[in-house]
Amino acid sequence: MKAITRRGAVTMLGGALAAPFVNRGHAGEGVVNIYNWADYFAETTLDDFTAKTGIKAVYDVYSSVEEMQAKMLAGSTGYDVIVLAGIDVGRFAKSGVVAKLDRAKLPGWGNLDPEIMRILSGWDAGNEHGIPYMWGSTGMTYNTGLVEQVLPGADLGSLDLVFKPENAAKLAEIGLSMLDSPFDVFALALKYLGLDGDTTNLGDYDKVVELFKPIRQHIRTFDNENNVSALANGEIGVANSWSGQAVTAQKNADEAGLKAKFSYQVPVTGGPIWVDTFCVPADAPNKDNAHAFLDFMLDPVNVAKCTDYTYYANGNAAAKAHVAPDVLANPAIYPDAATMARLWAPKPFSEEQDRAITRAWQTIKTG
Amino acid sequence: MNRRPMFLISCLAFGFAFFYVPILSMIFFSFNKSRLATVWGGFSVQWYGKLFKNSQIIDAAVLSIEIALVSATIATILGAMAGIALARFRRFRGRTLFSGLVTAPLIMPEVITGISSLMLFILMAEWIGWPGKRGFTTVTIAHITFSMTYVTTIVQSRLSSADISVEEAAADLGSRPWQVLKDITLPIISPAILSGWLLAFTISLDDVVITNFTTGPGATTLPILVWSKVKLGVTPDINALATIIVVIVGAGVAAAGIIMHRTDKRREREVQLAIKANG
Repeated sequence: MKAITRRGAVTMLGGALAAPFVNRGHAGEGVVNIYNWADYFAETTLDDFTAKTGIKAVYDVYSSVEEMQAKMLAGSTGYDVIVLAGIDVGRFAKSGVVAKLDRAKLPGWGNLDPEIMRILSGWDAGNEHGIPYMWGSTGMTYNTGLVEQVLPGADLGSLDLVFKPENAAKLAEIGLSMLDSPFDVFALALKYLGLDGDTTNLGDYDKVVELFKPIRQHIRTFDNENNVSALANGEIGVANSWSGQAVTAQKNADEAGLKAKFSYQVPVTGGPIWVDTFCVPADAPNKDNAHAFLDFMLDPVNVAKCTDYTYYANGNAAAKAHVAPDVLANPAIYPDAATMARLWAPKPFSEEQDRAITRAWQTIKTG
Repeated sequence: MNRRPMFLISCLAFGFAFFYVPILSMIFFSFNKSRLATVWGGFSVQWYGKLFKNSQIIDAAVLSIEIALVSATIATILGAMAGIALARFRRFRGRTLFSGLVTAPLIMPEVITGISSLMLFILMAEWIGWPGKRGFTTVTIAHITFSMTYVTTIVQSRLSSADISVEEAAADLGSRPWQVLKDITLPIISPAILSGWLLAFTISLDDVVITNFTTGPGATTLPILVWSKVKLGVTPDINALATIIVVIVGAGVAAAGIIMHRTDKRREREVQLAIKANG
C-alpha cells in the first residue's frame, strides 16, 4: 500500500473541495438561475418552462430583502433572473447592478398591463430594466364579525377606526396588530393625516409619532408574518397587512372550517402600491436564457397560474382572461376601480429619510 | 427535609419543559390535519406525504446535511489542531495573538463574518479565478471558519484540565511525538472532539446569515428556504420535516452520549487499575 505523502494529502483535499463544482456547476448552455422568494411561482411553472424550452431552471430563494440586496450590490452572484421590489429598481439600475432588457427577445411585452407599467416607470424610467411580476398594496384586514361585536356599523374604509383612541381601545379587545415595516405604516399614516406621502419634511414624521402616542397601548403586536395565522384563528381581529395576506388568512380559516370572514381595505385616504419586478443582473452568466424565461413569464397562461397559486395580482393585462374567476373577482387580489384610485406609488427614500423614519419608528414601537 | 428535593425537581421539570414542550408541540402538530396551528383538525400524516413530494424542501435538507457533515468534520480536525497547539505548546511567539485570532469569530457578529467572507470570495475569484461559482464549497468553507472556533475552545479547555505529566511520562519513556498524540492526547480529548463535532454540525445546520452571503445558484439550504417561506406563509410540511430531523438528531446525540459515557467509564476503570497496580 502506498503511503500518503503530504503533497498527496493536499491534492486529495483539493480534489474533495473541487468535487462539488464538477457536480453542481450551473453555468452553461441549458440553465437559468433564478433568485426569488420561496413559493413565489406556481408549482408547475419551472417544469413547464423546462419542458417548453429545454432550459433547466434552478430556483434559489432569499430570506430577507436586505440580505438579497447586499449580495446583489456586491456582485458576481451567478444569478440570471432576480425579483426586486419595483421601488428599488431605479437605484439598482443606477449602480449598474441590473442590465437593460432586450425587448427584441421579449415578444410577449405587449401583454403587460399599461397601468402597472406606468407605475413602474415612476421607479424605472422608460421601463428599461424591469418586468412587473406580482403586485399588491398595503392596507387593513378586518375580521368583520369581531369588529361588528365591538364597533357595530363601523366604517371599515376609514383609518379613524384605528387612529381614533376611543376606537383603538375597542379594537384592542379583539386584538390589533400593525406591520413591523416603517415604510408601509408611515405611508398609511402620513396620508391619513392629509400630508404628502412622499414628504421630505422630516418634521412630518414627528406628527406620525404623535398620532401613535395615544393608541400605542392598544396595539398588541408589530408583526409581518404571524398575522396571517393569528387572523385566521381569531387571535387578532384587525391587522395592518399586505393585500395577499388577507386572502391567505381567509383561505386558512376556510380550510380549518372556521366561519371567520375577512375584509381587506385600502383606506379612503390612500395606501401604497408595490410591484415585484423581474430584473436581469448586469453580470448574469446566461442572459439569453434569462430573456427566454422572462418571455415565458410574459405568456398570459403561465403567469395566470402563478396568480392562482400565490393569490397576488400579476402585471399582465392579457392574463386576466386566464386567472381563476374567484381570484379575479376577489377585491383583495384584483382591486376594484375605487380602490385602484386610492393607491399611489411612493418614491424611494433618501438616506436622510431612511434614518429619520427608522428613528421615529423606534420611538413609536417602544411607546 | 423533603422541601429541597421538591424544589430541585420542580426546577428540573421546568427546565425540561422549557426545552422540550415547544419541540413536542411541533411534533404533535405535524400530525395535524388542519393547516392552522391552533386548530386540531384530526390525525393525519398528509404533511409527511406532501413533504416527500416537495423536492425543493428535500433538496434543501439534503444539501444542508451534506454541508454540515463536511464542514463539521474539517472544522473538527482544524479546531482540534489549534486547540492542542494552544493548550500544549505553551511558549511560542505570538501565542496570545494566535489565541485571540482563533476565538475572534466567536464574538464577531454573523453579518460581518458573512459579508467579509463574501468579499474575500469575490476578490479571490478576480485574482486567482477561484471560486468561479459560489455554492456548496464556499458555504462549507465559511461554515468551517466559524465552527472550528467552537471546537478549538472545547478541546483547549479539556486539555488544560488534563494532566500534562502523563504525556511527558510517555515522551520520557521513549514515545515519539506522533505516538504521544495518538496514544495519550487524542484519547484524552476524544469526548471533547466528539462534542465539538456535534456542536459544529448543529451550528452549520441552522446557520442563515453567513450562508445567505456565501451561497450561490443551486445551493439553497434548508434554513434559508424556511425563512423565505415566511413571505407567503409557512406550510405545516415544515413541521413534518423538523420532526424527522429531531428524531434523527435525537438518535445521534443519544448514541454519542452513550459512547462518551462508556469511554469515560473505561478510563476511570483503567485509572483505578493503574493506581492499584502502583500502590
